[in-house]
This record gives sequence, C-alpha cells and structure tokens, in this order.
Amino acid sequence: MKAAIFRGAGHIEVTEVPTPEPMPGEVLVRVHYCGICGTDLEAYQTGMYEPGLVIGHEFAGEIVALGEGVQGWAIGERVTIDNALPCGRCWFCRQGRPSLCQELLSPGITLDGGMAEYVRLPVSLLHRLPQGVSTRQGALVEPLTIALHGVRSSALKPGDWALVLGAGPIGLLTLQCALLAGARQVLVVEVNPKRAAIARELGASYVLHPQRDNLAVEVAARTDGLGPDVVYVCTGAAPAFESALGLVRRGGQVFVLGLCPEPVPTDFMSVVLSELDIRGGYLGHGAFPAALDYLAQGRVRVDPLISHEIALEDVVEQGFEQMLRPDTEAIKVLVRIGGERSVKRKTGNGKRKT
Amino acid sequence: MKLGSMEYLQEVMKRSNADEKYRALAKGQFETYTLVLEAEPDKGVKEPVIVGFDCRDGEFVDIWQGAKPTLFTLSAPYGTWVDVLRGKLGATKAITMRKLKVQGPFLQLLKGGERVLHWVEILRTIPTEFEGDYAQYNIPGKAQH
Repeated sequence: MKAAIFRGAGHIEVTEVPTPEPMPGEVLVRVHYCGICGTDLEAYQTGMYEPGLVIGHEFAGEIVALGEGVQGWAIGERVTIDNALPCGRCWFCRQGRPSLCQELLSPGITLDGGMAEYVRLPVSLLHRLPQGVSTRQGALVEPLTIALHGVRSSALKPGDWALVLGAGPIGLLTLQCALLAGARQVLVVEVNPKRAAIARELGASYVLHPQRDNLAVEVAARTDGLGPDVVYVCTGAAPAFESALGLVRRGGQVFVLGLCPEPVPTDFMSVVLSELDIRGGYLGHGAFPAALDYLAQGRVRVDPLISHEIALEDVVEQGFEQMLRPDTEAIKVLVRIGGERSVKRKTGNGKRKT
Repeated sequence: MKLGSMEYLQEVMKRSNADEKYRALAKGQFETYTLVLEAEPDKGVKEPVIVGFDCRDGEFVDIWQGAKPTLFTLSAPYGTWVDVLRGKLGATKAITMRKLKVQGPFLQLLKGGERVLHWVEILRTIPTEFEGDYAQYNIPGKAQH
C-alpha cells in the first residue's frame, strides 16, 4: 500500500509499504480522507516525530477487516478515529483525565497513522459516522473534538463574550463551539482575509485585524468596555499569546489551544492583579460522540474549512509546502486517499473486504 | 487647546521633545501608545477621544488621532484622565488601581514610573480645555517660548 512516511525534518516520503494486518482486538481501516494538522506541520518543520512513522491523525474511512476477537464492529462500517489511546491504568486516567495519560499513544504521532491507504487500529479508537456525515467530513471530527473539549473545559457560560485569536481550523471550530455553548457574541482576530470571511460566515460577530486594528480599543468597544470573559488562543503566533492577557476581562480566562513552539514573554503581574485564569486544552478524547452528533445535526459546519483536497502523492508539494507559504490560502488541506465510494465487498476468511 | 485635538498633540510633542529631563528619562525606550478617553455622555462627553503617539529613544516622532495598533493602549473614562491631568489622581496610582486600563507590557510601563509622572507634569503646562461638565477644570497652563 501507499503511505506517507515521516523521515525527518522537511522530509516526508510517499512510498510503498506492506499493508498491515489487524492484530487481535484491532480492525483494518481503508482510509478515505486524512487531514494535515498544524501538529504535522510543526513536526515537518522541527522533526519531532520518530522517523519511519506513518503520519496522519485526522482521518476517516471504512472497516475492511476485523482482527481476532473483535465484537460489535462490522466490515463496511464507516468510522472516524480518536487519536488518543490512553492506558486507562495510570493515575491521570483513573482521575478521568485521559489526555494527561502517562503512557498515551496516538496514531499518526506515536503509532502509525492514517495518511496511508490502510491503517490497523484498536477498536477502542473507533467512532461510527452517523448517517449523513461523510468520511470527508469525518476527517475533521478530530479537530472538532479539540475545539469542543476546549470550550467544554473553559470557563465560558451562556451569555458570556468570547474572543478567538486565530481563525485556522481550530479557531473556526472553537468559534462554532463557543456559539453552541451560549456565547452572546464571539469576536475573532485573524490576518488572512479568506479565513476572516469564513469566520464571519460561521457566526463571528466581528472579525478584527491585528495589524490594522487596535485590538484593545476594538475589543473593549464591543464588550461594554470590560473585555471578553474567555479568550481562546487558537494560533501558534507568539503575539497572540502576548496580547491575550491584556484583552481578557479582569477575572476572565485565557484558554490556550494553539501550539507556540517558542517561549513567549508573559505578563504574570497582570495575571495576579487581574486574577486571571490561564488554561490549556489538549486532545478531544471524550468529545467524539457529541462532536459527531453536532455534525449530523448540521449544528457545526466543517465543509467551509476544507480549502484544498489533494492526492496522497502530492502531500508534500501541495500539502505541507503549500501550508508553509506565507501567503497560503490553505485552511484545512485534506488528502483524498480512498475517497468515499461504494465498494464491492469481498470477504477473505469471512472477515475481510478489499 | 482642546484635549486630544491635533493642536494639543502638536503641543505635547513640542513640549516633551524640548524637555531635557523627559528625554533623559525616556532614553532607550521605543514605544507606541494609544490613549483612549472614553465617552461619558451623562457628563457631556459624547464621543470617545482616541489619540496615539510614537516615542523613540526619548523623542516623540509621530502623533495621530484615532486607533491603530500600538505597543500600549491605556483606556479610562474621560473624567479619569481629567483627574490625572489636574493632579487629583497620580498616573501610576491610576494604573495600579486599574482606573487606567493598560493593554501591553504592564511592568515595562510601571518600571518607567518616573518618566510617566514627569510627562504628566509636562502635560499640565499646556493650556487645556476639557469637554462637557469637565470644562470647569480647564487648565490654564504656562506659556512656553
């Protein structure tokens, strides 16, 4: 099968590798779509994944083979994949904090992932796609769970003001989740005009430009002079992290979902004097059922986020390199691998479809 | 001169740049500021007054009206600014009390407290007219040659 293999910083190779066989308790999934995530981009730039890894942790497809002992799943079922495989035994797992698991495994990050024609996965990672949710949309469920888990973990209450810094995929999904959670208004800060337009389309009350607008003035003017109750940092851009503490209202919360690889100077004096709360959100484990329900009901839209759909062979040139361009128009780049189509079923030893 | 008018801002620039003590205190600082004097309709201040300036190494190099991105944004109701200019409320006290809301590197501003206080003294030398009910506190200022 073809797979995108991580070889090191700046080096991803699409090549032929043996098709995996599902082990006991696992299934084999034929991947339809796989998204390129900001974390993948970070790894491409820094080399933070292990060489030899099949990348891809935002994907959806269909089950084509069942490993020994698998119950409750059938060949042909369309699924999306949770990218967090907590151990279930450590102190954090026992406290109900699986994203803090001490032995966390993750397809596409620490296990072979879904930017391949096939991937074998433990059944505990599978979530069925509801009727009406395509595998193309299914590939965006994982980022949706990040946003949903973030908003659910944040201090946002119905009637609050929210500010989202950065309208990339996570920012656009956080915007929608904050509205679903009852935010009276969600303001967005974004440089890119295309992303700004989509933020407006998806319900942002105002979209501000950090290089043209004085954010302190504009945000205060739209929040009765108080500032937003919660500021969601959904970008890796250091200036956003710096400005968040000054924009949030006194006693408010800065909720960080973006990954900034560089240290950022932080005004902890304001944290103390204004009694601010700073929190982070990682992964979306546990948010999958609700995310899928929202998608099925059409209460969250993911299609506007998909800016590019490319072939697996083009993942470096039209995917990673495209996303790294300063003038990129990319929001979510989806790699179409199997695509969603009607598949003729064949069974090998009664449990396999090709 | 009406507080926040271009004429007033020109005078701020002129007097600040002519003040040796201020230039010495602000040396090494490269900062842009937006000052927001929030409207108080019940006191006759119908519109907010927003001004900005660019101070480089102790010298004011640009001034403007309106909002644009700056390192610092200081906001407060119009009356709070009047209190500061009248000497009724200290500028650094207003900042630490959060009567003046600061967006930007807070500590950097407070570390330059002496500079801030001296600058307010310079402002007090400018003949200043206030809006609405605050007109009773107009500052006569001092002529400068």
